[in-house]
Amino acid sequence: MVMKSSVDDDDAGWGLGIPEKMRNNVNWVDVTHEFKGACKELNLGELLHDKLFGLFEAMSAIEMMDPKMDAGMIGNQVNRKVLNFEQAVKDNAIKVRDLSLPELIGIIDTCFCCLITWLEGHSLAQTVFTCLYVHSPDLIEDPALKAFALGILKVCDIAREKVNKAAVFEEEDFQAMTYGFKMANNVTDLRVTGMLKDVEEELQRKVKSTRSRQGEQRNPEVELEHQQYLALFNRIKFIRLLLTALIAFTKKETSSVGEAQKLMAQAADLLSAIHSSIQHGIQSQNDTTKGDHPIMMGFEPLVNQRLLPPTFPRYAKIIKREDMVVYFSKLIERIKTVCDVINTINLHGILDFFCEFSEQSPCVLSRSLLQTTFLIDNKKVFGTHLMQDMIKDALRCFVSPPVLSSKCCLFNNHQAKDYIDSFVTHCSRPFCSLIQIHGHNRARQRDKLGHILEEFATLQDEAEKVDAALHGLLMKLEPQRQHLACLGTWILYHNLRIMIQYLLSGFELELYSMHEYYYIYWYLSEFLYAWLMSTLSRADSSQMAEERIAEEQQKGRSSKKAKKKKKVRPLSKEITMSQAYQNMCAGMYKTMVALDMDGKVRKPSFELDSEQVRYEHRFAPFNSVVTPPPVHYIQFKEMSDLKKYNPPPGSSDLYLAASKHFQQAKLILENVSTPDPEVNRILKVAKPNMVVMKLLAGGHKKENKVLPEFDFSVHKYFPLVKII
Amino acid sequence: MAPLQLEAPSSSQARQKLEGLLNKNMRIRMTDGRTLVGLFLCTDRDCNVILGSAQEFLKSSDMFSQGEPRVLGLAMIPGHHVVSIEVEADTLADAQCFRGSH
Repeated sequence: MVMKSSVDDDDAGWGLGIPEKMRNNVNWVDVTHEFKGACKELNLGELLHDKLFGLFEAMSAIEMMDPKMDAGMIGNQVNRKVLNFEQAVKDNAIKVRDLSLPELIGIIDTCFCCLITWLEGHSLAQTVFTCLYVHSPDLIEDPALKAFALGILKVCDIAREKVNKAAVFEEEDFQAMTYGFKMANNVTDLRVTGMLKDVEEELQRKVKSTRSRQGEQRNPEVELEHQQYLALFNRIKFIRLLLTALIAFTKKETSSVGEAQKLMAQAADLLSAIHSSIQHGIQSQNDTTKGDHPIMMGFEPLVNQRLLPPTFPRYAKIIKREDMVVYFSKLIERIKTVCDVINTINLHGILDFFCEFSEQSPCVLSRSLLQTTFLIDNKKVFGTHLMQDMIKDALRCFVSPPVLSSKCCLFNNHQAKDYIDSFVTHCSRPFCSLIQIHGHNRARQRDKLGHILEEFATLQDEAEKVDAALHGLLMKLEPQRQHLACLGTWILYHNLRIMIQYLLSGFELELYSMHEYYYIYWYLSEFLYAWLMSTLSRADSSQMAEERIAEEQQKGRSSKKAKKKKKVRPLSKEITMSQAYQNMCAGMYKTMVALDMDGKVRKPSFELDSEQVRYEHRFAPFNSVVTPPPVHYIQFKEMSDLKKYNPPPGSSDLYLAASKHFQQAKLILENVSTPDPEVNRILKVAKPNMVVMKLLAGGHKKENKVLPEFDFSVHKYFPLVKII
Repeated sequence: MAPLQLEAPSSSQARQKLEGLLNKNMRIRMTDGRTLVGLFLCTDRDCNVILGSAQEFLKSSDMFSQGEPRVLGLAMIPGHHVVSIEVEADTLADAQCFRGSH
């Protein structure tokens, strides 16, 4: 809020209010001496203040002359004049024509670095707009620099629009403020790409004319010039490709996404040439006066200092040129990956795509592009499919509900149609939100997942009611068929996935203490994964029932013998993976209990809270879910009580059991026919843990009281247990 | 508190003077040449001053950056950075005259 008002008020408040106060007709009377004298009379620690002004208000004051809080201080201490673009041009401090090639290359590279720094969450005022040239490209006479300045403004403008539209950013990801700067809005996108193209062609001619000819004695100066022209050419081409790709993303046709992907690939090809020619650009000079920000022609880090709100990060650290190319190549890779989403048609596939993409912690721009590619103008998926149809397809693939089968009498039944259509319509918003959640940064996702459970609980309720109504209808029309818990199973499946992800992400975000691991893993293995597997197998049998009916109907119609081929069940992979995850969690749970028995888990001395308080806090979002019902602490304690076994297991029994779980996980995963990276990652944890647990079961280092280490570097949810 | 009441008359007089200035417009020049204008809200023995709705003006010698001030809001100026303190004359007159007879 502070940021907003400070800028909005720029014209209204500041212009009018201030001169009035500063005008000489207000008589200022110096009271310095008396004031200071009077202050000395006050007691130590005594505050003289208005009744309405207390210590609390005093706390929120910014402290002047404290470099951390006082943004104005820096600008004042630098021993140089901070000039804006017009002033700099007038003072001849900056060239607008006849720039040398090294100058152009250096300015462009610094701009690229600023662009990246902005995309990484700093403000435009402290990054891209520290470049004076972009303040008003109209003043630039050099055609290459002018086209580039416009190009980078357009890139910023489109990127900002995309990020704003996707709305998957928080203040830590992105600063959308433009501080009233013009983002080259008076020129069309097409005009800018045209200008860049012209410059490019001109440069290409220069590159060709300086190229070495056969048998010619090479003049080193000409060779250097050739290299520099080539370097500039590559940079101009790069910004043009980047801009054209972003423009392609703003189009509504799916084909333009493929075009963007091609453009990004072309841009990627330029990167190594850009990298190897960085040294051709001029470098910034370090300001010796204050060990200050590096100064470079065309850049003034402090030019916008007074636009910033009082409390704001002082300097944005602009990334190094060497890192720029690496960042760009990763960015391009991410954008290319984003383009692949259009090849996934099934809603579950898309959801998995979003999850997987998010796991690499991608940047805000690629996350936003993914969102805007998925749902164009918030209506149609990829601009072509209705969300409702996507949901119906997903339902068909997952549980094959009779109501959605053309072979079932419900398919053309009015009432049934109304039921299912209204249910699907109600589903579309929560599912869109779910996909949007996966576009947020990892830390924010967790919180949002907790909240969306409420919406899914409502859907669950509706699904069960619709199932019951449809079943009632079906019993009258086709008594041999059933419509039991079809929609309910599907929603439950998503519920469970969200809950599991909520818990697991706590490991990734390092939220849990070691002494909490055991109940988290317990909840996952004994409860959520158990539910997930039974849900998946119910969906699987529902699919099979539908297939059987379809087969029978086919047999009835034609005498062709139905081929008895053994098809791979569509859900088998997911069931297998869930089994593996469950075993991993169970192994970790038993490990933690056993380690605790041996006194190898450090527990806090609960003074103000208790384990129950922590437990309830950890699972609080699950309270809004009806199915599966939340397991309360008391229930958990009863269910996990070891005394119910006779004789109660000791730590070595538990280590052995844990080892078996890890072994089981290993066996399951080794049988996966096409192991993906995730399978391999789990295997890398399962194998060593299995061995370590076996050793511990045999009494290895039992007397050793050194606490074990949990290493999450291989897998973010399952640690390697290390006994030192 | 009792001890406060029993203090020397000069001390309570000083306190009164300062209280008379509360919520008055104040202009403070800092050691680095900047000037802050805002409402006087609070001070203490070390002459740390808190101004409300403060605005920052750069030193007048700086021709280029002069012009509009920057809004700071609530700002605390440490006593050792205070160079001079001024109050608006007309408000001073209302406030039963800080300097006494003048």
